[in-house]
Amino acid sequence: MYRSERREDYQVAVYEVIPMSESSEDIHVDGTAREASDERDVSLRLDGVKKVFGDGEVVAVNDFSMEIYEGEFIVLVGPSGCGKTTTLRTVAGLEEPTEGRILIDGENVAGQDPRERDIAMVFQSYALYPHKTVRENIGFPLEIRKYPADEVEERVVETAEMLGIGELLDRRPADLSGGQQQRVALGRAVIRSPKLFLFDEPLSNLDAKLRIEMRTELNKLHDRVGKTSVYVTHDQAEAMTLGDRVVVMNDGEIQQVAPPEEVYARPVNQFVAGFIGEPPMNIFDASATMTEDGVRVTAGGFDLTLPPSVAETVRSWGRDLDRLELGIRPESFEDAALLELGIRPESFEDAALLDVPPADGRSFEARVMVVEPMGAHTDLAVRATGHEDDESAEFTARVSNDTDAVAGETVRLAVALDEVHLFDAVSGDNLLV
Amino acid sequence: MSRARFGVDRYRRRQRVWNFVESPYVVHAVLFLAVFFIITPLVWDLVTSLKTREGVLALTYLPQDPTLAAYERALFDRGFWQAVVNSVIVASASTAVVMLLGTPAGYVFSRFRFPFDNAVFVFVLFTRLFPPIGLVTPYYRIMTSTGLQNTKVGIVIANVYLWLPLVIYIMRNFFITIPQALDEAARVDGCTKVQAFRHIVFPVVLPGFAFAFTVSTDLNSMTIPVATFLFVGDTSIDWAAMTAAAVVAVIPSALVVVFFQRYIVVGMTGGLKGE
Repeated sequence: MYRSERREDYQVAVYEVIPMSESSEDIHVDGTAREASDERDVSLRLDGVKKVFGDGEVVAVNDFSMEIYEGEFIVLVGPSGCGKTTTLRTVAGLEEPTEGRILIDGENVAGQDPRERDIAMVFQSYALYPHKTVRENIGFPLEIRKYPADEVEERVVETAEMLGIGELLDRRPADLSGGQQQRVALGRAVIRSPKLFLFDEPLSNLDAKLRIEMRTELNKLHDRVGKTSVYVTHDQAEAMTLGDRVVVMNDGEIQQVAPPEEVYARPVNQFVAGFIGEPPMNIFDASATMTEDGVRVTAGGFDLTLPPSVAETVRSWGRDLDRLELGIRPESFEDAALLELGIRPESFEDAALLDVPPADGRSFEARVMVVEPMGAHTDLAVRATGHEDDESAEFTARVSNDTDAVAGETVRLAVALDEVHLFDAVSGDNLLV
Repeated sequence: MSRARFGVDRYRRRQRVWNFVESPYVVHAVLFLAVFFIITPLVWDLVTSLKTREGVLALTYLPQDPTLAAYERALFDRGFWQAVVNSVIVASASTAVVMLLGTPAGYVFSRFRFPFDNAVFVFVLFTRLFPPIGLVTPYYRIMTSTGLQNTKVGIVIANVYLWLPLVIYIMRNFFITIPQALDEAARVDGCTKVQAFRHIVFPVVLPGFAFAFTVSTDLNSMTIPVATFLFVGDTSIDWAAMTAAAVVAVIPSALVVVFFQRYIVVGMTGGLKGE
């Protein structure tokens, strides 16, 4: 597939984890990115961008550096107030960065008006012009640039057809549904061929069903138009499905830049781990001891023995093994009874990871508090044996829908050991990536 | 049981009272009263203007022999026409200047941050809060020293001073109701700030503009009311002609209101949301 081919390209050079530390002169993306730029043209480059609001009280974006390649779809994701929208607005020219440079196609755009930057933007509120018809809305970017009327008309019709709103051209925005308004906003962006597409949470005003539909359409649209796009969202599902690479932000700083699969499977710190994935990753206070078989990780009510490969990593840390946090995604659990029956969901395909029946150190017993059948799978709210009365010990296990787990009874949960994460309890860094 | 019962009864009683207050009869009675109070002087004016000069003193409700003679006297005999022309000129010029300056100023106050922006805005409003009577002497001094006393330009300047702050305030509030994303979208789509205002923001704020325009036109057409006093003579007052002049004076305002009715409602109810 087109999309996954492109992802492989990046894997060579572009995976880059930007540490949270301030003194980042030496660890910018530049080093790796320069190698990559031999292969791909850099479409947008942000270089140490910082944005401060007020009299220096609010640092919205701090030291944002990355390179975005021609045709790439980049998603900035993070909780509200993390600086993702501000970053986008500095690229658009709607805000001037306090520090740092922004280069579009190698040109420093400092001080340039939005109109000089050759970009198109889709706003969260769509920002359709209420006094203009759909035709006039879509055609406006060409009209204001003094394109001949017949060419404007031709391209408006073409664009509207592509987005399936050809029959709405004479309506006004107020007479359109949310989804239709969204399409008009997209049309107004794609009618020109700008260097960059910017999206500011364009789907957040749609209802859940429509949002998923439009997400798919955006994906198709991007494959067709193939333009460099920067997309801001707080919805991790959008980030995962749309992004060639995902930029996870928190408190104005980049946490991780990587393709979606990587962000999911190898989050660099506890923030990323908790933010990406639904339901969120379970975090347990834990400590580790070295054993002959590997590393024994003890969390509240259960022990897991991580394989020898992990042990080597752990041995190399030379740090306090008592102050760790263990992270296990709900979907990394399975009802051990089902594994015995040979029903193996994807994450357990590698039988070597798991004895059948699961041995100690790879599974543990827990009391089921709530069973939530979701159709394709079942979510269990559980507490490890010995912690049945401790509400804070409750966590979520997403198991196969064939489970016979019943609320109030005990279930044996197996863990996909290659999917667990160990975090430093203080810094939150993922120690296994 | 009794306590709960009591609560329900009281609730029902209150509900009956409100049902009555909100009933169409009461609502219409109140509206009728309001209209009655507003329209009675106008009707009185109209009826009186149709009487003869002497008929006014006859103390009848309706004119004995209806005539348009009072209008003839008002419009042709006494130079009232000149006052109407002056009114139109002064009102148009003042309104034009006020809107031309007030609209962009309101936009700026609604959108842009600049040093002391709030202080400047409060100062603009403050000039309007000054009691106008306190301005009479300085005005007179300024007008005489610049040779503008008894000129239309002088009146226009005075009008602009009085109504510009109000228009800036009204327009600013309208602009605030228009999402800033519209300006931003326009600028990304290829507009300069001025073009974004002209092509997008201004057309959207047009109902607000019409409202402010109506208000300022109305307030600026001040020379007709003054002219009605032409009919106060040394020895007698020509009531019929004076009321005829008043009826004529109402006509432009009435036309403006009828024409811009929709926008006035929008303006009064504060905002363009949902447009």
